[in-house]
Amino acid sequence: MKVTLQNLTKIFPSRDKKSGKEVVAVNDFTFEIPDGKLIGLLGPSGCGKSTTLYMISGLQKPTAGRIFFGDDDVTELSTENRGIGLVFQNYALYPHMSVKQNILFPLQNLKGKDKMTKNEMLERAYEAARLVQIDELMDRKPSELSGGQQQRVAIARALVKMPRVLLLDEPLSNLDARLRLQTREEIRRIQKETGITTVFVTHDQEEAMSISDMIVVMKLGVVQQIGKPQEVYDNPTNLFVAKFLGTPPINVFNGNITGGKLYIGEEAVMDVPGVEDQAVTVGIRPEGFELADDGKLTCNLSNVEVMGRDVSVVSTNDASVNPVIRSIINADNKIDLSQTTVRFNLKPHKVFIFNAETEERLYVEVK
Amino acid sequence: MVDNKQQWKAWLYLSPAIVLLLVFTVWPIFNTVRMSLLENYSGLKAAGGAVFEFGFGNFEKVVQYKRFKECLTNTVLLCVLTVPISTLLALLIAVTLNSIKPLQKLLQTIFFLPYVTNSIAIGMVFAAMFNIIGLRPDGINADTWGIINNVIQFFGGKPVNWINQGSQYWANMTVMVVYIVWNALPFKILVLLGGLQSINKQYYDAAKVDGTSRRRVFSRITVPLLSPMLAYVIITGFIGGFKEYTSIVGIFGETMGPPDAANRLNTMVGFIYDALSSNSQGRASAAALILFAIILAVTLFNNMVIKKHTHY
Amino acid sequence: MDKNVMHAKDLQQTSVQQKIVKFGVKFFAYLFLCTMALIVLFPFYWMIISSLKSLAEYRLNVPTFWPQKIIWFNYVEAFNTANLGSLFVNTMIVGVASTLLSLVITVLSAFAFARLEFKGRDTLFTLLLATMMIPGELFTITNYTTVTQLNWMNTYTVLIVPFLVSVFYIFLLRQNFLQIPNELYLAAKVDGTSDLKYLWKVMVPLALPTLISITILKMMGAWNSYMWPRLVANDEAHRLITNGLRNAFTTTSGDVNYPVQMAAVALVSAPLFLVFIFLRKYIMAGVSRSGIKG
Repeated sequence: MKVTLQNLTKIFPSRDKKSGKEVVAVNDFTFEIPDGKLIGLLGPSGCGKSTTLYMISGLQKPTAGRIFFGDDDVTELSTENRGIGLVFQNYALYPHMSVKQNILFPLQNLKGKDKMTKNEMLERAYEAARLVQIDELMDRKPSELSGGQQQRVAIARALVKMPRVLLLDEPLSNLDARLRLQTREEIRRIQKETGITTVFVTHDQEEAMSISDMIVVMKLGVVQQIGKPQEVYDNPTNLFVAKFLGTPPINVFNGNITGGKLYIGEEAVMDVPGVEDQAVTVGIRPEGFELADDGKLTCNLSNVEVMGRDVSVVSTNDASVNPVIRSIINADNKIDLSQTTVRFNLKPHKVFIFNAETEERLYVEVK
Repeated sequence: MVDNKQQWKAWLYLSPAIVLLLVFTVWPIFNTVRMSLLENYSGLKAAGGAVFEFGFGNFEKVVQYKRFKECLTNTVLLCVLTVPISTLLALLIAVTLNSIKPLQKLLQTIFFLPYVTNSIAIGMVFAAMFNIIGLRPDGINADTWGIINNVIQFFGGKPVNWINQGSQYWANMTVMVVYIVWNALPFKILVLLGGLQSINKQYYDAAKVDGTSRRRVFSRITVPLLSPMLAYVIITGFIGGFKEYTSIVGIFGETMGPPDAANRLNTMVGFIYDALSSNSQGRASAAALILFAIILAVTLFNNMVIKKHTHY
Repeated sequence: MDKNVMHAKDLQQTSVQQKIVKFGVKFFAYLFLCTMALIVLFPFYWMIISSLKSLAEYRLNVPTFWPQKIIWFNYVEAFNTANLGSLFVNTMIVGVASTLLSLVITVLSAFAFARLEFKGRDTLFTLLLATMMIPGELFTITNYTTVTQLNWMNTYTVLIVPFLVSVFYIFLLRQNFLQIPNELYLAAKVDGTSDLKYLWKVMVPLALPTLISITILKMMGAWNSYMWPRLVANDEAHRLITNGLRNAFTTTSGDVNYPVQMAAVALVSAPLFLVFIFLRKYIMAGVSRSGIKG
């Protein structure tokens, strides 16, 4: 099912009536979610990603704009008539019902011609349970399950009625690190197997990048960039997106363009032919550094963290916006820790130049 | 390691409470058991140096009293009628109240109002509502006058003599049930509303996503999740119901019934006080212990039923 | 999946249906609540308008819903007939004294249970809690004898002392004290603060809402107490308000001036309402944890 968001806007009236300041949670969001894809809504807290999800679910009404499922305008339709499945952040499993009862619950609500017999319901419930591999836990209570298992039950409950769209609100945030890795693969697999258009919300960029077909990066209610994870990573439209994606995060420098050359501090690190002189902000991905004795960027070496295949070189530079610069270098490079400085050459496609004031990307040729 | 100074200090701080509790709580427990087991024990006779035999006579006599059976019947009847009615009504009000936004605070305050009343004082108001005057000094019979009867007549019913001379037992009982339910609502609404508001909203969102009908949300989600609070309200309701006394005094005065049928509405507690007033401490103690046993049994029974039906 | 495809007409129909159902549900919710609220409020309304009627108007076969002529004098008469002045004073004396003493005892005990360590603390506390199950009438029988032997009959003492200790209040305050981090106490110890000073300067201010709840419930208790005062201090000099009210208007037949009676009831209820209006929050907080009236 294709989901279309058209100029979607949500404004919350201010809590404090006197100050009267409204909060624009989502501002003019337009996007067509292709059928059968897994979409990650990504952004820091307060960026409007959950509000967007809840508007798609129908639990919140948009202030303006329209939502279409396929060709149907569902904006005015209430939640129960939209045929969606929703997995809540803390799962919202009914604590007094067993796993089986929880999964059966949505089916028992069906009325009229959709009504099923007991056996049909059980069959469907077990099918959903098998899909998320919890069919052996059917008689347990939610309180007797681990976080990961509860998560699966919640997904099974959302899937059992074969929703047109599956929505997941921070599905992994309540899991520990190991389970998170495992579960996100799981979500990917389930989504692939069912082919249900799925939207999930997360503040964890790694999570979003690793499983999404497409990601939507949001900030303060405004969509910053939409695209395939790798595309967005390789080609951020502004400084915010560049900073938000990637671990370790991108290194940011204050720089200058003078006479077709990009300067960081006093050093000309790159050629940017034909660009007029101006102050800029430079973002360099950690993997964009290459050690070279005659490198163009000189930094003060702080230390080297061994990560196995790679090493992370920690250094400082006066022009750096962050306290330290992190660069990921192949471990084959031997670094003499006794030296005080370290020199780098930069990989052009890992260097992004932004307008110093608007922080928008300057699409210029970097050599 | 507990140092001695702290020990000593703790007992010092506790001493006023402990002394008072020993005299007015602990000793009475033992003494009540003692008195109940001494045949025909009377405080007055004991002061005169009388000696009483050990035995279960007090219990036997109490149980055989016709008046005791009446009191027990009244008490049980009041409990059985008022607890379910007030609990159900409070549940309905609390759930509805929880579902609205404008006026919620105001209505909540109104529903709590009967709590802060003097049950004797407002009992007198209810008595006035059910019957204005009784027999008028000018000889006109006004037994069935009163605002409640006016309302009944407005809807085409027949006026009833609720609490006056010649009134029926069921009429008296109805008045008591209405008054006790009115009085019991605020506490129950308060507790249930508090319970409802602490239920995670996401359960309702989840139910909504699944297209659950209102009735099903109520019976499959709200009531089960509210069951600990419901249990609390029901148990305290029964305990309160078995100790019913002052509300009857409020409406009927200390005659505990219409003028021509005094004591017709007496309760267990009333029986105990009557025995006490006539200096039969032995009987009073026996009745108090029976009351305690009943309350304990009802509480345990309720707990058992509740354990079966609340699963988390 | 086919059944999920909706057509524009169906969509519109569903959305209109939704709105009607929603409106209907809201309408009935308010209708129900307002009706119930009126029923709850009616006795109060009836009390007030009755208290302002003349006896003749009160005795009409078809009652008036607003006094034809407002008789304020009923209140003066009520005040004098029921001797409300002295009843107020008596009740205030008993209420204030028992509240203050009870607070001191409760604070000290709760502190000992919450912060001090002594042998048998938990056992003792459990035993105290167990006494809460026993109906009060069971104690009354013996206490009646005890206070007679102590020669306390018809004194203020007998109205104050026997009920000073409330296990429930100790429990309530102890729970509150336990929420205050123990580090504060240890820090105070390091600084050489005495227990009592710490209790007064730190614990009491932090637990103030609970203490206010206790104060109000205790005062309401004195105001509403009926059985015990009737048993042990039913003389003119010490009679409390509830007894006084019931005694002043015992008969329900004969030539009773009902409007005056309602005026007296209103006067007795008024202080409770005032307390309720201004301190509702504390009452509700205390009550929702107790289940005990007054």
